Amino acid sequence: MSRAHDQVSERRRPRSPRRLAPRLLIGSVLAVFMVFFVLPVLWLVLAATKTDQQLVHGSPLSFGSWHTLKTNWDALTAFQDNAVLHWLGNSTLYAVISLVITLCVAVPAGYALAMTEFRGRHTLLVSTLVVMLMPTATLVVPLFLEINAVHLIGTMWSIILPYSFYPFGVYLTYIYFTTAVPKDLLAAARMDGCSEFGVFRHIALPLATPVIALVGFFSFVANWTNYFLPYVMLPESDQMPIQVGIGSLLSNVPSFNPAVGTLAIERPQLALATLIAITPVLIVFLFAQRFLVSGMLAGATKE
Amino acid sequence: MTVNKPSSSPQRAVSRRRSALLAGCAATVLLTVSACGGGTAGTTDKDGFAQAPQKDGALTVWVDATRMDAAKLYQKLHPEVKLDIVSYDGNANGSNYLQTKVQLFNRTGKGWPDVVFSSQNNEVSWAVEAGFAAPLNKGLVDEATLGRFAKGANDVCTVDGTVYCLRNDLSQAVLWYNAPLLKQFGYTVPTTWEEYQQLGEKVAKEHPGYLVGDAGDSFTPEIYLWASKCGANDITGPKSVSVNTTSEACTRMAKLLDVLIKNKSMSISGVFSTDFGKNKADKVLLMPGPAWFGGAVFRDTLKTPAKQIAAAPLPQWQGDGSPSTGNVGGGTWLLSQHSTHIKAATDFLKWVTTDNAYQGEKAPGYPAYAPAAEAWLKGQNASGYFASDLSALAAASSQVWPKWGSGQFSQEAIWAATVKPGITQGKSIASMLPAWQDAIVKYAQSNGYKVSQ
Amino acid sequence: MTLSHSPSGSATRRPRGVDRQSRAGIAFVAAYVLLLIAFGILPTGYAVYFAFTDAGGTFTGFSNFVTTAQDFRFMDAVGHVAVYLLFWLVSLVVFVVSLALLLHRLASSAVSRSLRFLFYIPGALAGAASVLVWLFMLDPTVSPVSSLLGMLGFDTFGEVIAPGNLALLFTIIAFWTGAGGWIVVIYGALNNIPKDVMEAARIDGASAWQTAWHVQIPMLRKWIVYMVILAFAGGAQLFVEPQLLSLASVGVAGRDYSLNQLTYDFAFQMNNINGAAAVSVELLVVSVSAAALFVARSGFFDAD
Repeated sequence: MSRAHDQVSERRRPRSPRRLAPRLLIGSVLAVFMVFFVLPVLWLVLAATKTDQQLVHGSPLSFGSWHTLKTNWDALTAFQDNAVLHWLGNSTLYAVISLVITLCVAVPAGYALAMTEFRGRHTLLVSTLVVMLMPTATLVVPLFLEINAVHLIGTMWSIILPYSFYPFGVYLTYIYFTTAVPKDLLAAARMDGCSEFGVFRHIALPLATPVIALVGFFSFVANWTNYFLPYVMLPESDQMPIQVGIGSLLSNVPSFNPAVGTLAIERPQLALATLIAITPVLIVFLFAQRFLVSGMLAGATKE
Repeated sequence: MTVNKPSSSPQRAVSRRRSALLAGCAATVLLTVSACGGGTAGTTDKDGFAQAPQKDGALTVWVDATRMDAAKLYQKLHPEVKLDIVSYDGNANGSNYLQTKVQLFNRTGKGWPDVVFSSQNNEVSWAVEAGFAAPLNKGLVDEATLGRFAKGANDVCTVDGTVYCLRNDLSQAVLWYNAPLLKQFGYTVPTTWEEYQQLGEKVAKEHPGYLVGDAGDSFTPEIYLWASKCGANDITGPKSVSVNTTSEACTRMAKLLDVLIKNKSMSISGVFSTDFGKNKADKVLLMPGPAWFGGAVFRDTLKTPAKQIAAAPLPQWQGDGSPSTGNVGGGTWLLSQHSTHIKAATDFLKWVTTDNAYQGEKAPGYPAYAPAAEAWLKGQNASGYFASDLSALAAASSQVWPKWGSGQFSQEAIWAATVKPGITQGKSIASMLPAWQDAIVKYAQSNGYKVSQ
Repeated sequence: MTLSHSPSGSATRRPRGVDRQSRAGIAFVAAYVLLLIAFGILPTGYAVYFAFTDAGGTFTGFSNFVTTAQDFRFMDAVGHVAVYLLFWLVSLVVFVVSLALLLHRLASSAVSRSLRFLFYIPGALAGAASVLVWLFMLDPTVSPVSSLLGMLGFDTFGEVIAPGNLALLFTIIAFWTGAGGWIVVIYGALNNIPKDVMEAARIDGASAWQTAWHVQIPMLRKWIVYMVILAFAGGAQLFVEPQLLSLASVGVAGRDYSLNQLTYDFAFQMNNINGAAAVSVELLVVSVSAAALFVARSGFFDAD
């Protein structure tokens, strides 16, 4: 608009007005994407406060009532005697144990791949990448047979152990160390007589907080949202994690499974179950984000 | 692998090869270990199959959430039986959960459930081949009991004369209608498809917006074309099917649907769609549909008030001497060949499919076992929701046209993927019958069926 | 494993520190190597073994590959996946990198942090959890954006999910769930670019655009390559999005759409795990080749 008109005069002026147009542009781009990401979630939150009738007949972004929310909650928890809370408990157990193992395994591995030279380093990097690219559908059968061979079918280890193998995290750590931590820093510590473990413990680990938070977070989410592995591995319904539980709720909603024949679960209750399922992930995200602080390394080494 | 950049040292290349070798060795060891799983030692041939040594212990029963009540009721009435009730998705939407698990159990040689419910009718199409389903009419279940199931109810369970599962419920199609509305408009219930079409044309003119049916669901062909004796899905043997979608029986029903879709007295959005719920819920005058429409669609989904919905027999083609109807779903119960509690499993199976305590009084669907169905109908009539008695259901239960089978491939999925998008785009169903045939043939063949056209 | 065998041959050529480092490196990766073999290499090797054998374990050469390629859905699925991959990779790289850069430039860190959180939220909605959401978003009768859908000429759910729109719809769904996580990663990487580098660029008089193009993006190279490799493999293995839409539309759209869906069909519907493994191996080869190309061009594995 007017910007092009007085561009010449703007050049000479101090910077703030000149930067107004790009700022508006940035603002509106971010706003558009915010609507894109948030609107469906907002809809979901509101859906949980409505009756099935309101969901179809009412305005999409209207609020139902607290009372309906309570009713939906009661109906949801009534499904197979509090099954939803039970599923949440299972998910937490599986995700947290695997998270701990993942961190203990992936962070040192990623560090070693990035900061030390050892035989087989290259092989390890390549095989990790190849394994990551393998479609999971076909891996399930071999995994099942393997877990069966060591008699772990039916135990929670049948999913916790495969979860704990988290190559994505190893790579995150690897890239973090190669791009963000200068090797001279470690060399200096070694010169000072630090043992290799000491270097890792006292130099690398404190610098790695952001990536530990990142790996921990992604590992937690991956475990929490994994559907297929527990679906195949766990034989008992009271071992189900929440994702598999939501799948089974879904098959009790007539719109998604017309032949179910009875109305066991209505769509607002499914929406509520979904919200319950994602809440822990969001809490962990907020927690992890605190550790992704900026500028941690600035000035740590002199170039 | 190609990811490797040219190796800088020869040692590395050697070590890489060596690690590949090691992994290979480990894989071989694993294979050997797992191959020892499935031993069949000590079986005895009885009741038509090799039975594993029988043991005490809990009976494992897999049910979906709806059938959970049945298993719990059994436990309550039989406290002496040790039951391990596991809920799963009931194979809904072709999830193939049961098949997946049985394949894995077959590899590991353990883990099978003793009795399992499936919401699908086609389990036998793989469960016999997989050596999972036990034959039931060779000693486990007596002929008298089997004979009291509705005629043809266990056809989906039967392979070469042997019954491998018991039907839980029937989903025979009838003509649902809104009795007070029909009276108000001054119409009568059509008894032939010709009358039905005329009524649809009248409704389109006199009361535009009102509906005489819906053709937007994936199970649409099972209501209309099945009832019209269209030979789209004649399963003639364990792995053979005859497909002919362009016979007179198919085309005349397709043309009828096309006429009514065009004049908008037949909806194309599907009864569970939000469009139907929002804009058409109170516009239903007539609705051909399966037995479970009464509760699941009208009462629960569309919230039609009580004393409005009634059921009549599905129309027939004029001059057709043998009345026929279609069927949409209905579950089955299977018993595992590998069970080590066959006696307890059989008792449970018989109870859950025939006993009035569940099927007659509690079951949500129309029981396949005729004596239980009588009790069930009494209960429905007493509930006061329907505007008529539901005797039309009883009559229809033995009229399901037998030449539409349950193959391993899903007819509903094929219709949904090939015909439904065309209907949305405004193509006529009659013009898509050849494409539909083509799709059925391809799916059947890729599932290993021999197809005759 | 081979990683732990004695490095005696090289010890003579290497300084002592390196030797010490080598042993320590092996100790650090040992636990991971165990898990890698158990849950990565073994199952993958097993799957490859499946691909070249029949149900009885007899070696069959490429016959599984030929049979599956002859399935009538195979070529369609290849085409679908190719189109989807194009949309997916372009949208991911362009939007994720630009959004991360924009967020990084925001003066207010609180706003930036909240936005990252908001962008991420859909990432928690995986699989079954978001079926409901997309059924209602894409159905003009009940959608909050029905006016937008109307403007684009869609009046019914059936029209929205017409076959021609699917690749774009899956891209939108996948971007909605997946982009937030990558934005967090790339943003974190931007944070680690030393302040003095950015300062130097500013003193040189580089505009924001020039800084992004000549300083920030080159320094993000490894992260972007990593994202592209995984996004390529993930896109080639397209599964969740079509499956989800198929559930929401009760089978009308999205069934048998992608190669990975076919592998599920082969494995669990047709009891043909060997055929499924063959298709998986093909996907693996494609993904690995693409990865190799990126790795070779970016120096991804260089430790320095």
